[in-house]
Amino acid sequence: MATATATRAHRYAPLAAPALGFATLVGAFALVEVLIRVGAINRFVVPLPSQVLAAIPRIIVEEGILHRFWQTTQEALWASVLLVFAGIGLGMLMFRFRLLRSACETWVAAFASAPVVLMYPLFLVIFGRSATTIVMIGFVAGLPPVILKTIEGLAGTRTVLLDVGRSFRLDDWQLFRKILLPAAMPSIFVGLRVGLIFALINIVGVEFLINFGGLGQLINELAERYDLPGTYGAIGFVILVSVLFFVVCERVERWLLPG
Amino acid sequence: MAAARLGNEPVRGRAARRSFVDFASPARNRLRSIWALRVAIIAAVLAIWEVVAESGWLFRDVVPTVPVIARAVARLLADRSFYSNLAVTGAEIVAALAIGGIAGLVAGLVLGGNRFLARAYEGFIYYLGPTPKIIFFPIMILWFGVGPGSKIAMGALSAFFPIVISVASGMRQIAPVLLHVGKSFRATPWQMTRTIYLPAMRTPIVNGFRLGLGLAIIGALLAETKLSNRGLGYLIIQSYTTFDMPRMYALLIVLFVIAIGLNALIGRYAVSDRARSS
Amino acid sequence: MQRPRARIRSPVGVPVTQAVPGSRASGAPILAVTDIVKRFGDGAEALLAVDGVSFDVGEGEFVSIIGPSGCGKSTLFNIIGGLVADYDGRIEVDGESVSGTHAAFGMVFQDESAFPWRSVIDNVAFPLELAGVGKRERHERARRFVSMVGLDGFERRYPAELSGGMRQRVAIARTLASQPRILLMDEPFAALDEQTRLLLGDKVLQIHQHLRQTTLLITHNITEAVQLSDRVIVMTYRPGRLKRTFDIDLPRPRTSEVVGSDAFGHYVAQIWNDLREEASRGMGDDESRQLGNERRR
Repeated sequence: MATATATRAHRYAPLAAPALGFATLVGAFALVEVLIRVGAINRFVVPLPSQVLAAIPRIIVEEGILHRFWQTTQEALWASVLLVFAGIGLGMLMFRFRLLRSACETWVAAFASAPVVLMYPLFLVIFGRSATTIVMIGFVAGLPPVILKTIEGLAGTRTVLLDVGRSFRLDDWQLFRKILLPAAMPSIFVGLRVGLIFALINIVGVEFLINFGGLGQLINELAERYDLPGTYGAIGFVILVSVLFFVVCERVERWLLPG
Repeated sequence: MAAARLGNEPVRGRAARRSFVDFASPARNRLRSIWALRVAIIAAVLAIWEVVAESGWLFRDVVPTVPVIARAVARLLADRSFYSNLAVTGAEIVAALAIGGIAGLVAGLVLGGNRFLARAYEGFIYYLGPTPKIIFFPIMILWFGVGPGSKIAMGALSAFFPIVISVASGMRQIAPVLLHVGKSFRATPWQMTRTIYLPAMRTPIVNGFRLGLGLAIIGALLAETKLSNRGLGYLIIQSYTTFDMPRMYALLIVLFVIAIGLNALIGRYAVSDRARSS
Repeated sequence: MQRPRARIRSPVGVPVTQAVPGSRASGAPILAVTDIVKRFGDGAEALLAVDGVSFDVGEGEFVSIIGPSGCGKSTLFNIIGGLVADYDGRIEVDGESVSGTHAAFGMVFQDESAFPWRSVIDNVAFPLELAGVGKRERHERARRFVSMVGLDGFERRYPAELSGGMRQRVAIARTLASQPRILLMDEPFAALDEQTRLLLGDKVLQIHQHLRQTTLLITHNITEAVQLSDRVIVMTYRPGRLKRTFDIDLPRPRTSEVVGSDAFGHYVAQIWNDLREEASRGMGDDESRQLGNERRR
């Protein structure tokens, strides 16, 4: 006789899973705290989580977080502007001239897989130890996805939509403005989002590496001061900011492109 | 007619996908013009470079002339120490990919297979993914020392995320009917994994590893530039501190060729698979 | 084939108004399904998909279950095949109660299920591989079934190179290769065009003739059901119950002459009569749901 073996998962509260995730995090913190106090983990390698958490407010107050924030944001904004104009522009160019696209699209794709950020010493030499270097690395790193997605969006416009345009006798420029570009917008947005994220990752990373700039430099400084709780705290803080930024990006995108 | 198709396409052609089928010019002609354009672009870039280098408009040593760079590349490839450093970096990346890859595979299989655990933990991974991992480097040095250990750790940490995400999503994208077939034949869990799950996920797994490899390379190399006395990254930063620009260009060129080449190879493998799979 | 003595097993609580040749087969049935009830969800929102379905299938019989969309016949298919655990009722094979997947059943699904990464011969040999049969032997045995579905010469091809109809044939051959006592098929031809469907229907007839394979076919296509089956069971719209059973007393083989005959047309008309009522209840449901959705917007 078959018995009713109910699938219990749906009976759990919908919040059970995220609660487990959160609980694991808290539990891990607590475990590490205990292990350090007991001496199982060397406290000069891993500082007490409680100290790390305490360091965060200290960092915020003492290290001019707002100023650093602003610096990193500025660099990101400049990189974004460059990405929008150069990235979308190049994408449109490559779409418009099919031969150019056939010749160069694979190059752009190859570039996307190349360790672009490793050119930072080169950029250091060319632009000096300045914000320009950081912006340029961010820009170059974020460029390939913007170009590729722009091309993809424009090329992927359904033929029938263009047929409609042509049946209304739109000229080429109108076709582009009223049909191609709107149709490509979702794709272009995705490309910009990916490009911006790539840019930001590289911006913060290079700030850390060359010890200049905003948030990335903060970590470097605290590390060089051997402020262990401060270093851990700063890393955690930057991770938090990065996560928040990503979440905001997603929300904005969802708001801008419903469905 | 064929000549009219060379060079810039007229505006008419751009909009319609259907002009992909270009009856006027045979495919071979098109291939030739593509390569002609590529060569032309490369030639133009090199020419501009040479002009800028010669003019000394940028500080001369920053932009060495093309022959100087070419000689530097040759010198580099003949240099024994280059290869020993390359080997060090290579070993670090292999280890990083192995560790990060296995961890990512296992985590991906678990998260892909269990809805509840996925809802609990996948958020962490998804949102932690797009963060700059290099900032963890000071911690890695504390935990794993100043040697290759911290570089491997950096690479493994970087490679882990794309692999988990693509394995988990690859698992979820398997057509449910294929799993039903396995169950209807009463395959054991091991048989299900071996004959259904893994083959069905081959493309996402390969793509995940492709991304993971790229990120492992970046992670390990950046770590080397920050703090190391061996490896390719170390050589790059050394050429920076000694202001040996030709050598830096040579190193970057070789590095890019290797990285792009590896990626292309894996891509070729993935495509030959896909031709059978899809 | 002997006409079975009428012994009506009525669905629980619903009187059968006509003495029709019933759901019980002659002799001991190879498959006995009793009082299957399936609910989805619980409490006030529970959806009763199947409400007390009972029937038998005799050895070598070809039985079709036909019903409107949404009547629960695919659910029934999954329950009998053992892919759904949470139901009330009993399923017996050769008199023994079974639950969960069982080696006696072979399932052919509605969706395309040939493994895209395996060649045709490797697909068909899959159940043999699971059973641990060696490579050469299983390829040999599989070849027989590949031939049976008419895919000779395609052994080394991959599903991506085949048409939809051919891919379904691969799935059928694969299931046959496991030599099930009872073949369960859930609308296997639903995604195919009419001509392919007719040709594959002929193929299935040939196979049934050749193997004397006990088959339970779920379908919504009346012509197909009458053409292939010894018995057609009509299901009501949700909640699914058995409405009526029809003995298809037509000679085998079911040639195009038989299919074009008056008797055939009669069966189709009778079944459609029963089905029409259920199908329009289903449609009415859909329409009111659609209107409800639109009003809500």
